[in-house]
Amino acid sequence: MSLKNILDIEELNKTHVLKIIESTGYFKEVLGRDLKKVPALRGKTIINIFYEPSTRTRTSFELAAKRLSADVINFSPSSSSMKKGETELDTIKTILEMKADLAVVRHKDSGFVKYISEHITIPVINAGDGRHAHPTQALLDLFTIYCHFKRMEKIKIAIVGDILNSRVARSDISLFKKMDLEVFTVSPSMLLPEDMSYFDTKNFECIDEIIGQCDVIYMLRMQFERQNKKFYPSVREYNRFFTLDFKRFNNMKEGAILMHPGPVNRGIEIDGRVLDMEDRNLAKIKIGEQVGNGVAVRMALLHYLLSQK
Amino acid sequence: MDINKEKHKKTNNLLILNGSIVNTEAKNTFKSDIVIENGVISRISKHITAGDFDKSIFKVIDASELIICPGFFDMHVHLREPGSEEEEDIKSGINSAIRGGITSLACMPNTSPVIDEPFLVEYLKMRSCANDYNIFPVAAITRNLEGKDIAEFGLLREAGAAAFSDDGRAVQNSKLMYEIMKYAAQMDVLLILHEEDYSFSEDGVVHEGYFSAAKGLEGISNLSEDIMIARDIILAKKTGARIHFTHLSSADSVNYIRLAKKEGIRVTCDVTPEHFYFNDEYIKDFNTNFKIKPPIRSEYDRKSIIEGIKDGTIDAIASDHAPHIDAEKNISFNEAAFGSIGLETLFKASITKLLKSEKIGLEKIIGLISAAPSEIMGAEKNNIKEGRQANMSIVDINCHEKYTKEMIFSKSKNSAFLNENLYGEVIYTIVNGCLRFINKIKSQGEDFS
Repeated sequence: MSLKNILDIEELNKTHVLKIIESTGYFKEVLGRDLKKVPALRGKTIINIFYEPSTRTRTSFELAAKRLSADVINFSPSSSSMKKGETELDTIKTILEMKADLAVVRHKDSGFVKYISEHITIPVINAGDGRHAHPTQALLDLFTIYCHFKRMEKIKIAIVGDILNSRVARSDISLFKKMDLEVFTVSPSMLLPEDMSYFDTKNFECIDEIIGQCDVIYMLRMQFERQNKKFYPSVREYNRFFTLDFKRFNNMKEGAILMHPGPVNRGIEIDGRVLDMEDRNLAKIKIGEQVGNGVAVRMALLHYLLSQK
Repeated sequence: MDINKEKHKKTNNLLILNGSIVNTEAKNTFKSDIVIENGVISRISKHITAGDFDKSIFKVIDASELIICPGFFDMHVHLREPGSEEEEDIKSGINSAIRGGITSLACMPNTSPVIDEPFLVEYLKMRSCANDYNIFPVAAITRNLEGKDIAEFGLLREAGAAAFSDDGRAVQNSKLMYEIMKYAAQMDVLLILHEEDYSFSEDGVVHEGYFSAAKGLEGISNLSEDIMIARDIILAKKTGARIHFTHLSSADSVNYIRLAKKEGIRVTCDVTPEHFYFNDEYIKDFNTNFKIKPPIRSEYDRKSIIEGIKDGTIDAIASDHAPHIDAEKNISFNEAAFGSIGLETLFKASITKLLKSEKIGLEKIIGLISAAPSEIMGAEKNNIKEGRQANMSIVDINCHEKYTKEMIFSKSKNSAFLNENLYGEVIYTIVNGCLRFINKIKSQGEDFS
């Protein structure tokens, strides 16, 4: 049971996941205290290397590291100024000469974080690589579901939207299936991979077909920035089949929850008016809670990777 | 050239004893001795006595455990000269080819500048001659490979162009392709076609399928190739042009070509070892040496290619030797260049997969990398016969070892076959009558060029 890096869901087994979930529960409790800080990683240095702009994920990692008393450096090289991979790698090696203990890396290319991990000796956490993987998001999503239902097995979850371009979808589906949730997808043909056998999920062409049967409705962010080929006809067509509006919100199964990795495109994935009721529907809309759980999960992962010898 | 002939004098009188000679026409292998005098095969006989020959003039090769093959012909090579000599040049490319038992090769025109002018074809012929090697220059179909203006087929052919190709690119405009084929038919020149519909391949880096979905990498659909193969079969039928599809990757493409041949349309095709050896699962660790174009496809496609080889739909095997410096490969998967080197693994990979795993006959396999490509290219058919200049590769087909970077002669090391256990080893290569390569203790060769 020892992992050097967190790069992809595929390399985690059930035991790893359960241990991470358990440890996340502990750190979530820490975050609820008045004094939200523990000295677990005092003296350690964590570097956040974000080639792709990110506020939420970077802040979440930064906060997680600081709550564990580690020192944090944020480094955001502009990808455009570094054309060749050798230069990117050289830059990273130079920074690591400054004796960091762990690197958190995000990049626009699938597989880049793994590539970096193969060339440096310290542990690496994947904070999102291209359309490939976003394992910490998947773990915080699973933790959020587990906190609400107190179980994972047989939870029915519908993942709605752009499956093709989403690293969140890839990691979520992979993790949820590993932990025996029942996963469905709701997506138009042009936003699904040509070959769905890897996901092996039943797909629905309209959210109404399944909204009353699921315990979790998970809306994906429409990745307009990653859709280099825009084949989807229009927003109003999307609204007709996929957007979570009031009516659909009310048609959700009793006790079901609504999730989204954020930030929400109002009026595309979710009707803005539904979001504005979040305060009154804390039990049902988990979007805010997901953000908080993200810090706890990342604390658990940093602690896990840096405390094993 | 005379100077070179002088240099190779000691190596063009040879006695090759007790070897097994592969006859790709008769599809048999027979034991015999061979005498080569002044570079010409003077006798093939079982009754040659070494004692009858002057040892100070004749070098004796004991080939008792070895197979003697007609020299291999690789009809798809990127020599990178002129323009990208940091990756490969004509001399290093020839060394690499000779190391792989290859005695003739066709080089693709996507250099810098593009080979679309007669003087550039002449340059390549001159460099070939200076290295006493058989280079068949392939000239561009369209000027600067832009897919707009047809190149001077007539003048380029007169300068020595052996065929025409826009390799690396494909003519997207169907009407233009129709005009190209009509003219190619009239001029009776061969078109070598890299088939790719850009609207399906655009940003793609791997085969579109299970692993592109799993790894979040942009896929290239089989349709990218299939649509163009179908289109060009239709155009070849209409125009009577002689076309050759290179580096096939897709199962349906093999089927379309099988049907076209049944109809009597003049098409031939080749595959690379990468496409019959690997499947798309190999990209799962983002190893950029497996990033090639067309992409390494699914196991189903791979098996269809093997079937196509077995039933004769596929005429030849070519390497698509595509050298790239480390900086273009040791980089993220999306940014990495397409291509794998292959001159030195053409024979080994074919023996490993087709002979050892698929049990395809040795004579057929050797034919696919020697007689068949030479015939398609309109060269004198590579065969071992008395009276002909000696072009042969003497090989061991039973030894095997892990393929490593240290073994590579090419300037570039981007081989998809690194770390594979490969069967077969080239022990001697004879080019135009001269012994150019001796593999003393496997992989430690002498450089004669």
